Amino acid sequence: MIVKTLLAAICAGLMAGLFMTAAQELRVVPLILQAETFEGEPAPGASPAHEHSSLDSSSLFPSLTSAILPITPAYAHDGETHEGGGILFGMGRFSGTLIANLVTGAGFGLLLGGLGILTGSPPSLRTGLTWGALGWLAVHMLPALGLPPELPGFPAADLSERQTWWLVTTALSALGLGLIALRPGVVAKGAGSVLLALPHLYGAPQPADIASPVPAVLGAEFAVAALATTLAFWLVLGSVSGAINDRFLKTA
Amino acid sequence: MAVTNASGVSLSLNDRMIAGLLSLCIGAFLVFGAGLANSAVLHDTAHDVRHSFGFPCH
Repeated sequence: MIVKTLLAAICAGLMAGLFMTAAQELRVVPLILQAETFEGEPAPGASPAHEHSSLDSSSLFPSLTSAILPITPAYAHDGETHEGGGILFGMGRFSGTLIANLVTGAGFGLLLGGLGILTGSPPSLRTGLTWGALGWLAVHMLPALGLPPELPGFPAADLSERQTWWLVTTALSALGLGLIALRPGVVAKGAGSVLLALPHLYGAPQPADIASPVPAVLGAEFAVAALATTLAFWLVLGSVSGAINDRFLKTA
Repeated sequence: MAVTNASGVSLSLNDRMIAGLLSLCIGAFLVFGAGLANSAVLHDTAHDVRHSFGFPCH
């Protein structure tokens, strides 16, 4: 039964990841590639933007970058020199994206399935969409209020501070939404709302200098595209999880 | 009948706890690896995914 549950969640996640890859290639990746062509340029009135990853085959200045930096640019923003950049197993950029989507999908599928089991109401075909929408709110929409999806080249505060804020916000949002959605009573809903608001009252880490070489229009398009594709991803994930649960786990 | 019922329920509850916690742990590990891990190879492989999922990146 345990293995079956895990497999169901992983299957749903893989399907959602596959779907996400298609959605990304249509809308999100083109915007990332376009932004990377601006990335090396100095922002108007700002210190030169930090260098970007070693995936700069599409960048306008690959030779310039490698001429200036003997190490791969991935080091430059990584800050630690423990290993070189480059894509796992020497795969192409698309393969890397596909693998990462599958892994992320399986991961979110397992998280969703695990929370469903622990709260005693795993996603079904009927509740799958709601589960998916709540997952999107907790992982993407609410954290995006403080840290909107960024394009390469956007100014940003310290990485570990942002990651910490993101993790805490995601966890508190999930807890708050769980209280609101699953617990009856005004007290639970009030407490849930407070949990949702807390990280935003504290405030997300913001960059000191917001000048950017990447055009603002690209950033706006990207933020909408990223939130829309992740919403679709979570709705697919919730529905497929529910369908698989209904079909294979009802009798288990 | 009532006894078998009760033991059946508690067993499946135990199973559910294990399945749920195991799912959460493996899921968190996978998401962390793809989205947040501070490794250049993982970063470059998942680069476009990290940006489009809105994970803090760079």
